[in-house]
Amino acid sequence: MGMQGDFFQLLKTQGYQFGVAAEGSHDQQVTTATTILAFKYRDGVLVAGDRRATAGNMVMYDRTDKVLEIDRHSVMAIAGVPATAYEMVRILEHSFKYYRRTQLQELSFEGKLRAVSKLLKENVAAALAGTGAVAPIFAGYDFEQESAKIYFYDILGAEFEGVEYAVSGSGSPTIRGILHYVNTWGDQPLSVMTEEQSAVQALRLLTSAAEFDSATGGVNREANLYPVVKLITAKGIKTLAEADLKHTFEASVSRRG
Amino acid sequence: MYEEPYKWVEAVGNRRQYLDEQFKQGSPVVALAYETGIVLLTVSKGTPKVYEIYDRLALGGMGHPADLEKLRFNLLEMAHVEGFNRSPSDVTGSRMVKYGIAPVIKQAFEEVFKAPFIVKILLAEIGQKSGKETFLSINYDGTFEEGGHSAVLAATKGIEQEMLKSLRGEEPERRSLEQAVGAALRAWALGDRLQRRAIEGEAERGDEAAAAPSSTDVPSLYAHVRETVAEKSIECAVLDRSQTGSSKYRALTPDDLGRLLPRDIQTSIS
Repeated sequence: MGMQGDFFQLLKTQGYQFGVAAEGSHDQQVTTATTILAFKYRDGVLVAGDRRATAGNMVMYDRTDKVLEIDRHSVMAIAGVPATAYEMVRILEHSFKYYRRTQLQELSFEGKLRAVSKLLKENVAAALAGTGAVAPIFAGYDFEQESAKIYFYDILGAEFEGVEYAVSGSGSPTIRGILHYVNTWGDQPLSVMTEEQSAVQALRLLTSAAEFDSATGGVNREANLYPVVKLITAKGIKTLAEADLKHTFEASVSRRG
Repeated sequence: MYEEPYKWVEAVGNRRQYLDEQFKQGSPVVALAYETGIVLLTVSKGTPKVYEIYDRLALGGMGHPADLEKLRFNLLEMAHVEGFNRSPSDVTGSRMVKYGIAPVIKQAFEEVFKAPFIVKILLAEIGQKSGKETFLSINYDGTFEEGGHSAVLAATKGIEQEMLKSLRGEEPERRSLEQAVGAALRAWALGDRLQRRAIEGEAERGDEAAAAPSSTDVPSLYAHVRETVAEKSIECAVLDRSQTGSSKYRALTPDDLGRLLPRDIQTSIS
């Protein structure tokens, strides 16, 4: 008996190709993105991302959704080449559903993590050629361990657990330091923050990233553009409404004075 | 021996007899629309007979578990590859049946040297809006029917007709989930009782089918459920438009059923 319920394998038997390196691609300027972040708060995990996509110095798009729901309890935030990242998300989404529907049980959280690694590994050739590098954050609720978890990956598919937080994308070096500072010496560690407090932190962090990284969009109040912020708990995924983000931003993020 | 045309027709005829015999003791399956989706219900013993196929598609089956499993996998593969390569909106019950499994079932049925699929299949699909439900039922010979409000599977066409008749009446858009579960269970009881009578009738009166009038009074139907459900379990799932996320299928848990089943049944199940 072969491996049952493997959608990616099924696609391959149908002639589907993934992660193929494009030749002569080194001098092309491909679309990339981002600052994405995830941290554990009191009730679960918060995942957030800005909305800008760039190609070299050009802003391609300012309404990109980089925090994508894979199923009812897992989210993948993407940094890198969106074309490859969206394809990965589509494969994962179908893989998890296909597994559940064929095997009549949910794929374990560990199984989901493996699926992400496997796709990244298949993508190495494209990642190294410069046309398909993706460094995602995968977060979800692990029902076996009864806790929400964060994992981040490098472009080759190595998997690391973000025990307290994880960041990725071009703007991430800026906020990595801030996260460390806030979590260690702030009024309270991230893990005890309420939903509202966490949302404030997420908006402040992304605004800081946008300050120092031209490829990160931050908040554009004139265009009513706010980052995407999702919260994962045992109950499922909640997306913060734009109106709430606007309110939070005006009350606690926009610069004083 | 089957090279001559009339022999082939005879062989196919024998096949029908053989297959009809296989379904006599099977458990009927009912699917019907309610205000926010579709309810699928059957009473099963061990192996499940109601499954999730795709975001808006569910399957109910009667027959041999191994054959059902094979066709279920066919459908799952087809639906997911299509949903990935094109889009989830392109995965429709009608395409899955017409170009997918109906030809496969028909071919197996007519290839008289090979074993046919011992299955009857029902596919239920919810639309984006209420009133856009699709129900398809496929017989063991690959013929299929399409309906708008309900579909059933039972041992014979006659029994299926009786069950469908019992489901007509109220507008599905106004039927609550609780009412739909009750109606589905009564239709199941009616079908199962007719099947049992047919078997008993045969035993008593040779091959003459049991022609006892099918009483549809509620207490007698619930009494039948109480008698039969003791060593089996009620299997029920919904495709619910109001569910968040893209997958609309949800199997009802024993707790859900405890709330939704008619009172006279609840006591005998707990």
